[in-house]
Amino acid sequence: MRAGIYVHVPFCLTRCGYCDFNAYAGLGHLQPRYVRALLAEASLAATDWGGVLVGSVFLGGGTPTTLDAADLASILAHLRDRFDVTRDAEVTVEANPDTVDAPKLAALLDAGFGRLSMGAQSFDPAVLASLERVHGAHSVRTAMVAAREVGYANVSIDLIYGAQGETVASWKRTLRESIALGPEHISAYALTVEPSTPLGRQIALGARPAPDPDRQAEMFELACVLLAEAGYHHYEVSNWARPGFECRHNLGYWERRPYLGLGAGAHSHRDDRRWWNVRPPEEYLRQVEAGRLPVGGEERLEPSDAHLEEVFLRLRILEGVPASWVEPRTAEPFLQGGLLRERDGALVPTERGMLLLNELVLALAG
Amino acid sequence: MTDTTRIRNFCIIAHIDHGKSTLADRLLEITHAVADRDMREQYLDKMDLERERGITIKAQAVRLAYETAGTSYELNLIDTPGHVDFTYEVSRSLAACEGAVLLVDAAQGVEAQTLANYHLARDAGLVIVPVLNKIDLPQADVHGTARDLAELVGCDPSEVLAVSGKTGEGVTELLETVIARVPAPEGSISDPLRALIFDSTFDAYRGVIAYVRVKDGALRTRAKLHAVAARMDWEAEETGVFAPEATPIPELGPGEVGYLVTGLKDVHQVNVGDTITNQGRDRAHEPLPGYREPKPMVWSGLFPAEGGDYGALRDALDKLKLNDAALVFEPETSMALGFGFRCGFLGLLHMDIVKERLEREFDLELIATAPNVEFHVIRGDETLVVHNPSEMPQPGTYDRVEEPVVLATIITPSDFLGAVLELCQSRRGEMVDMKYLSTTRVEVHYQLPLAEIIFDFFDQLKSRTRGYASLDYESSGYQASALVRVDVLLHGEPVDAFSSVVHREKAYPYGRAMVERLKELIPRQLFDVAIQASIGSRIVARETVKAKRKDVLAKCYGGDITRKRKLLEQQKRGKARMRRVGRVDVPQEAFIAALRVDQRSGERS
Repeated sequence: MRAGIYVHVPFCLTRCGYCDFNAYAGLGHLQPRYVRALLAEASLAATDWGGVLVGSVFLGGGTPTTLDAADLASILAHLRDRFDVTRDAEVTVEANPDTVDAPKLAALLDAGFGRLSMGAQSFDPAVLASLERVHGAHSVRTAMVAAREVGYANVSIDLIYGAQGETVASWKRTLRESIALGPEHISAYALTVEPSTPLGRQIALGARPAPDPDRQAEMFELACVLLAEAGYHHYEVSNWARPGFECRHNLGYWERRPYLGLGAGAHSHRDDRRWWNVRPPEEYLRQVEAGRLPVGGEERLEPSDAHLEEVFLRLRILEGVPASWVEPRTAEPFLQGGLLRERDGALVPTERGMLLLNELVLALAG
Repeated sequence: MTDTTRIRNFCIIAHIDHGKSTLADRLLEITHAVADRDMREQYLDKMDLERERGITIKAQAVRLAYETAGTSYELNLIDTPGHVDFTYEVSRSLAACEGAVLLVDAAQGVEAQTLANYHLARDAGLVIVPVLNKIDLPQADVHGTARDLAELVGCDPSEVLAVSGKTGEGVTELLETVIARVPAPEGSISDPLRALIFDSTFDAYRGVIAYVRVKDGALRTRAKLHAVAARMDWEAEETGVFAPEATPIPELGPGEVGYLVTGLKDVHQVNVGDTITNQGRDRAHEPLPGYREPKPMVWSGLFPAEGGDYGALRDALDKLKLNDAALVFEPETSMALGFGFRCGFLGLLHMDIVKERLEREFDLELIATAPNVEFHVIRGDETLVVHNPSEMPQPGTYDRVEEPVVLATIITPSDFLGAVLELCQSRRGEMVDMKYLSTTRVEVHYQLPLAEIIFDFFDQLKSRTRGYASLDYESSGYQASALVRVDVLLHGEPVDAFSSVVHREKAYPYGRAMVERLKELIPRQLFDVAIQASIGSRIVARETVKAKRKDVLAKCYGGDITRKRKLLEQQKRGKARMRRVGRVDVPQEAFIAALRVDQRSGERS
């Protein structure tokens, strides 16, 4: 079973109000130390991962492209040096449209980052403003053109729908623009309000409206239709790809394969153990610089935990749950109600079922 | 045994917060009943709840020794509950006295409970000693209040005493006046024993302890006793007085007040108002007048929030009942709330107290249905007594329904008279009379259905008069009313806990308010949920909780599967705590919120 490596880069130019990732603006001065720490952590961790084939590498954040192409290249080279990264491994780097230009993209492609995941979020300026994104809609187009020019053949675009001010019509335009740019892969996420974020606090105080789940449902259904028409294959609740361009790295999470997370707050999984690094970058640096693995916590999965994960993740990637796992009378109302369908002996969520996936998970996981 | 000429039995009657307990504290001090180091505020209120709420729930009787002009007197102060729920208990305490100190806050003036208690005391034939309290307060209107009080009791304003329970000013004069004006008890030591039980309490080691007032004869330790109404024989294990701690004495003579340890394990064998006499030849022929069985006025279903606590709730109710003779309960099974008890209470305060004690002393989490009164459903010669709205028969199957009514006394500043009358009218009230106590204060009497009073009447009265109006009421029988049962259905299933019996004219707004409220409280399900209110088979209001369309975690990448799993587990736990009504999952909180009376009167504001 091939493993994945995730590298977390916690730096951003600004902090977006909705984001609850482990990311920080204004810590740019830590970058050189952070890159050295990543290399050191990789060396420390590698001893436990000998003999494991690594089929994907993913540099995420934060905004990995806040680092120089040379730094990013050195990280990848170091990983190839210390781990058995296969020649055909899928290597992704996330990019903010404002932090890349043609020369940088060329350097990244040249260094081996064959897959580019671009955080576009929306093509509606009002929605971008509401999400506090600094880039404009045009910079996504510019970056996309540049990526194609330098030879990128595997590009993904990330979108967020359901923000304040976004109408179904505006979302439709965003989808059409995205399709027109011709990426190989599109991720579309319903805006989720996390209580700990500025957006979460504003909504809790009543200063802003909470996203309307019914409108988000409508937007999801619209995405399903338009993306299918455009030839994208719906392979996970929030992910669509041209055939053969599904994100192998992310599939590794959902198929419960082993993965190693490097960097502040990064998560790892192997066998029945899940563990994660300390979140604050300074703390991460201190631990690694002291020669220790910066583990912040871990859990051992009980069989019941593993079962819940398995059901949850199998339903998300439309692989479905084997019908034999579920009492027929449990599944029956969902089959009747059009939330599940049967395919080759598996219970698979329909599009309506995907929107109500939590209900399905809780019912089918027993 | 003290000679009756040197005994004075009196009580203090007052509106809530007029300073009765503080005055009692001063009396204890002046008579050196309590050593200074043991003194604490509200000395006679022993229960935590009494202290916190500033009310007296159980009666107390304390013996004070006071010497004046060379004679030492035995003063028995009987501290009575002051709330309308406990009117019968108050009347029994009054029956144990010859005099009453009618205490009025000089800053607040005469209030509804002042009047109600005054009338009770006068009807009991007590000598009334009018007293103004809190004269130390800057806003005290000593002159005006004395005039009002004098007019009420029919005396000269100069006869009204002025005291401060806080500073002790005037308290000695008060004691002197009590001795001078309250008559000594009558009663003969040679007559057969007759003693009145005016309260009781339960002690885990000694059994039921009765508070008694001896009218005739002597109550002796080890005497063979007979309780007339309960038809029980037992022995006086110990007799004594509260001074203020329990102090055994061999006998209580005529006119004396004290306690009696019965050794009985069931408080229901020792009823407030019952007469104790001797067994055999010494038995009195006539019991003392005025005995009445405690009668619950307000009913509510109590259910454990956790189904598994049913046994614990039953044990807790059994224990509370040991020293609360007025509490009654019977098992009830609700489709919606599971196993619990339909409980009868003397009134809303009594209900609150019982609920709070169950939660606090027994650590139970409870769901209480909205309180209701006892309905009489009359069909030919039969009368069906209904304590639970969901048991009310369907319209057309009976001749009429009768509900309890009360005579309410409201005293309000005249500025708010209009608002008060409007409230009473909107609550199906009929005015009996109205009189100006002064140019600025009005006393109004209304006949009102008790059901309307227990439906947040007091809160409404307070909010419409900025807290100035006071209320008291007494039971005045049953009357036929156009009442109907309103049911609430979720997805076609009636929810028994939400059934209510209301006046026909209010059925529609009530049903509408309930369905609107439930629409906010019931989470969206996988299908449309109809919320309906019905009278019989007729739907009078309907709302729909639309099926939920989206319930999915948007993002699942970055490898933090643990957090996603925990979110799902949390959702699963939330689901497990819900109650299922038919196919609909209803959270506990929705029941609690929908059943709260104050939340249900939106249509009336």
